[in-house]
Amino acid sequence: MKEIIFHGRGGQGAVLAAQALASAAVFEDKYAMAFPHFGAERRGAPVAAFARIAEGRILTKAHIYEPDYVIVLDPWLAGLVDVAKGMEGHEGTSGGVPMGSVKTDICQGLNREGAAVLNTARRPDEVRLSLEVCVGTVDATTIALETLGHPATNSCMLGAFAKTTEEVSIGSIEKGIMDVFGERLGEGIAERNVKAAKLGFERTEVGMCSGGREFPAQKKWLPDVDELPPGCVIRSQDTEYGKLGPGSTVQNETGSWRTFHPIVDDEKCTYCMLCWFHCPDGCIGRVPDKESVSVDYFYCKGCGICSEVCPVDAITMVREVEG
Amino acid sequence: MRRVVGSNYATSHAVMRARVEVIAAYPITPQTQMVEHIAKFINDGIMDCEYINVESEHSAISAVIASQAAGVRSFTSTASQGLALMHELLFSAGGLRLPIVMGVVNRSVGSTGGIWVEYNDSMPQRDCGWLQMYVETNQEVHDMILQAYKIAEDKRVLLPIMICSDGFILSHTVEPVELAEQEEVDEFLPKYEARHSYLDPKDPIASGIVTPREYRQEFAYQIHRAMLEAKDVIGEVNRDFADKFGRDHSGLIETEFVEDAEVILLTLGTVTSTARGVVRELRKKGKKAGLVKVRAFRPYPAERIAEVCKDARAVGVYDRSVSFGVGGPHYLEVRNALFDSDVPVIDFIGGLGGRDVAEADVRSMYDVLLEAAKSGKAKRNIEWVNTRGVVLG
Repeated sequence: MKEIIFHGRGGQGAVLAAQALASAAVFEDKYAMAFPHFGAERRGAPVAAFARIAEGRILTKAHIYEPDYVIVLDPWLAGLVDVAKGMEGHEGTSGGVPMGSVKTDICQGLNREGAAVLNTARRPDEVRLSLEVCVGTVDATTIALETLGHPATNSCMLGAFAKTTEEVSIGSIEKGIMDVFGERLGEGIAERNVKAAKLGFERTEVGMCSGGREFPAQKKWLPDVDELPPGCVIRSQDTEYGKLGPGSTVQNETGSWRTFHPIVDDEKCTYCMLCWFHCPDGCIGRVPDKESVSVDYFYCKGCGICSEVCPVDAITMVREVEG
Repeated sequence: MRRVVGSNYATSHAVMRARVEVIAAYPITPQTQMVEHIAKFINDGIMDCEYINVESEHSAISAVIASQAAGVRSFTSTASQGLALMHELLFSAGGLRLPIVMGVVNRSVGSTGGIWVEYNDSMPQRDCGWLQMYVETNQEVHDMILQAYKIAEDKRVLLPIMICSDGFILSHTVEPVELAEQEEVDEFLPKYEARHSYLDPKDPIASGIVTPREYRQEFAYQIHRAMLEAKDVIGEVNRDFADKFGRDHSGLIETEFVEDAEVILLTLGTVTSTARGVVRELRKKGKKAGLVKVRAFRPYPAERIAEVCKDARAVGVYDRSVSFGVGGPHYLEVRNALFDSDVPVIDFIGGLGGRDVAEADVRSMYDVLLEAAKSGKAKRNIEWVNTRGVVLG
């Protein structure tokens, strides 16, 4: 049995990709399953999905802790999380109970004989993870923008997975995408995703990455039964795990979600404040001295509404560059 | 002050004396008078309380969850379909560990059913994180409302509690009740001081939030443990109450003639009174019959039941509701309590939809038990009492 974890962001289609991979495997007369990490996922926030492929019936209904393969749909996640780690990092995004920072390592538990399939413009030998493992790399964001017009990298990364691991053929991936994406999104969109998968397959480079990258140790608020406040009534407090309770969301760096960021041209800006009015996250600030506006990049998700509403085209959306 | 009143009045009086500050309730037969009495107390200026008029029981429980979460002693009451409508929110009250007191005036949930007593309204609520106590007299309803706040607010418990009284048999039957004076209640039940859930704009709380899987199980364990601890608290509060008011309701269970009893019947609610008469009559005839009035259903006093029944040769359980295809919910508790005993345990389902359970019915239960004690085994484990076309024993 092979176990696969997809790391992505809400909206990139990690769940759909896992289902399409399961479908692809079944087209090869294998047994497969796919399931999401049920949490309080929302567009842009880190999410995970899982798939298993085997020759016969799969009995386990548990999560995956020691994957054979990890697929990372978002280029920034490789910086935030250790890709060789299991699913631990994603629990922090479940919402509800405020529990501090979510920047966790995802490399732990990865089978050293397995592989990491990464969305990055870098070649495998330019990638450094915590483990020295086989990696497949492809600039999936660019391919997705070219073929789909938005950065949903799921189908492209399935092509990269087929190329890197040879667990399923690209032909089966195409059938899986037509089956699952076609059902959900219609045949036309499915066909464009098949194209993205093919390009992903063609452009993926496979090789060994270097290891030894260190990720900061993660601390998570997991009190024993005697330490938990009765009824989960939590007061605002600072702890070694970060802020808890009301006001704790200030530490969520939603700026890490974006693919594009707004750049303001102070010369063109007329200080009309339409962008300030429309920004859904309150990320636009006034700069009275310059009669212009500023952007809070810690929280700006790069939705681009400011750029759309600017009457003098003073705001340009620019692709993020891998850090 | 001794007056002849129904249990709805007795409850309302106790709620006033407990200095409850927020009430939200919606009228439903046979609980309606409770709402009316309290509204009148407030209108007459003898009770200082915020009465929130609501459009349903769902809103009533929601309102008192909010007020109790804000740190204020609160009360609600309902019956039957009203309790069913509250069901969803009952979990919130338990989960948030809010010591709300609710007067449940038991009535069957239809269809089929009418306005009369059955426990198929409260029994299905047993797993919501609420304590449940069943009472026998109007005096006991009054006294248990006062005790309920002290039990629920104890820091070892911090759980909501239902005081369940039989519709009409108590609610609309007047009998003498010693109504507590304010001074003595104030001494027994101090002003409520919220410990974990209260609103303070300077120190805000997150409450009722989504609790991911890394946390939920520990919170559930806390409730389970609090429920177990409540067994001690119920006993302690009963003793405090007896010292103060001179009325001892004997905590989790009350027994009659169990010491040398060959057969024991376990009852809930008002059937206990009728059974007391039958047991005394049987004793006079030389039959070794005993009676256990089970007062606490959540937490269920399994250890006490096992201890009391250890020398009995047949044990009967009275059930005023049914878990269809299995038996009565009370019977299941007793089977669990006596899991390592060989004694025959027989369930007596009866009095559904308010059908009268008369002395003859209770006598027939004891007859079946005496027969089982003689033969050493039950003919049937689930018996239906006074049911046309169904033969008992």
